[in-house]
Amino acid sequence: MAKKQINIGIADLNPGERKIIEVDGKSIGLFNVNGDYFAMHNRCPHMGGQLCAGPVTGTTLPTDKTEFIYGRHNELVRCGWHGWEFEIKSGICTVDPKMRAKVYKVTREESGLILHI
Amino acid sequence: MIDCDVHNDWVNADVLLPYMDETFGDFLRRGERAGGAQSFPHGHRPWLHPEGYRRADLNPAEGHSAGSDYAMMKEQLLDKYDLEYAILTGEEIIDLSTIANPYYASAMAKANNEYLIHEWLTLDKRLKGSLAVAPQDPEGAAAEIRRRGDHPDIVQVMLSSAARRPYGDPFYNPIWEAAAEVGLPVAMHLGGNGGVNAESSFAMPPTFYYEHHALLCQSAMSHVASLILHGVFEKWPTLQFVIIECGISWLPPVLWRLDSGWKALRKETPWLKRLPSEYARDHLRFTTQPLEQPPNSDHMLAMLEAMDGKNTLLFSSDYPHWDFDDPYEVAIPKDWHENVFDLNIRKVYKKLPQKS
Ligand code: FES
Repeated sequence: MAKKQINIGIADLNPGERKIIEVDGKSIGLFNVNGDYFAMHNRCPHMGGQLCAGPVTGTTLPTDKTEFIYGRHNELVRCGWHGWEFEIKSGICTVDPKMRAKVYKVTREESGLILHI
Repeated sequence: MIDCDVHNDWVNADVLLPYMDETFGDFLRRGERAGGAQSFPHGHRPWLHPEGYRRADLNPAEGHSAGSDYAMMKEQLLDKYDLEYAILTGEEIIDLSTIANPYYASAMAKANNEYLIHEWLTLDKRLKGSLAVAPQDPEGAAAEIRRRGDHPDIVQVMLSSAARRPYGDPFYNPIWEAAAEVGLPVAMHLGGNGGVNAESSFAMPPTFYYEHHALLCQSAMSHVASLILHGVFEKWPTLQFVIIECGISWLPPVLWRLDSGWKALRKETPWLKRLPSEYARDHLRFTTQPLEQPPNSDHMLAMLEAMDGKNTLLFSSDYPHWDFDDPYEVAIPKDWHENVFDLNIRKVYKKLPQKS
């Protein structure tokens, strides 16, 4: 299906911030991850919860012994319902790579951000 | 559609004060509180949810928790899913059983019930209430059931799944006697493990929150076995027990084991006239959330069929908690829906209008 390109204007999010916007009848989470913008459908592939309304966070990185290494700061969103973690950039669920949230490409133009939807 | 597990919260536990007498009002006002000013003085919770146990998408008004905001509950649950009734189960009050002092616990049960009746059940005709009782004070609990159990919007008696002894122990008989007398079902809601109560795991305390969460069905297993074997349902043949949020799929294997035991060793419990599973079928009902989600859903279906789920399950969402089940996603056969979302529930909660 041909993608629409929708100019959603200038966004003013700081790194780690997110807002939920309505675009083309869809609820979409717009995230600033370390200076880059990403967009994700605000609907969880698990049970349809408000995926983008949960905390933006990092997590513990996999380890080989009993230790806690925090990483991926602000790269993940935890679904607002059951708290499954999804990578904002790719939509991939941390514990199950086959479980993917829908993500949309975001590009920047002078006049604002363009959402490819 | 009727939802059997909706958590109404309070902004803080001081809402109980107007409903308490001088003795226990002072205890709450000036007494020690495990969680700091205005908190509910429950005495347990070694298992702390690393993200908090409420849904993160609800964003209640300032100073509120999700379940304490009625307007939000109305919009996000009652109206959204077009519920005909929501059975309120409270929040921290479920942990009443963790308070060592039974008289203080009963004073708070009573205050909670007045708070519920005056400040929640008046808000919306769809809201129905659970009468909290302190199981560590069976005589006090029985008195509370007789005092308030006849309120038209109070549809059940409620206590926690963790207790100091399994519920078949004759220690608790006054509670079942009173519930049967006023004709209310008794709900056992997950909660209260640790402290003076039993741990969630029989091997003693689990370490992690989700370990505890996965194993808390062990308390329910014990109560089910104990209630049946002590003959509670022979003594009170009209008594119905609703088991809330304790898991589902463990039930058939536990009943299979009890049935085998009974066939060989019935002589230990000569007051039982039937297989343990037959008492379960007639007297126990289970709320759906959180329905286990095995990779192959046929496995779950086999368990649900083994427990006659079509006639024993009652829908619940657990709003506003993190393991909320969306009613449109509950994985049960289509032709069970009318029973599970409606008819089974009215049969247990006889105060709800009945369909002919
Ligand atoms: S709906 Fe998102 S984790 Fe369940």
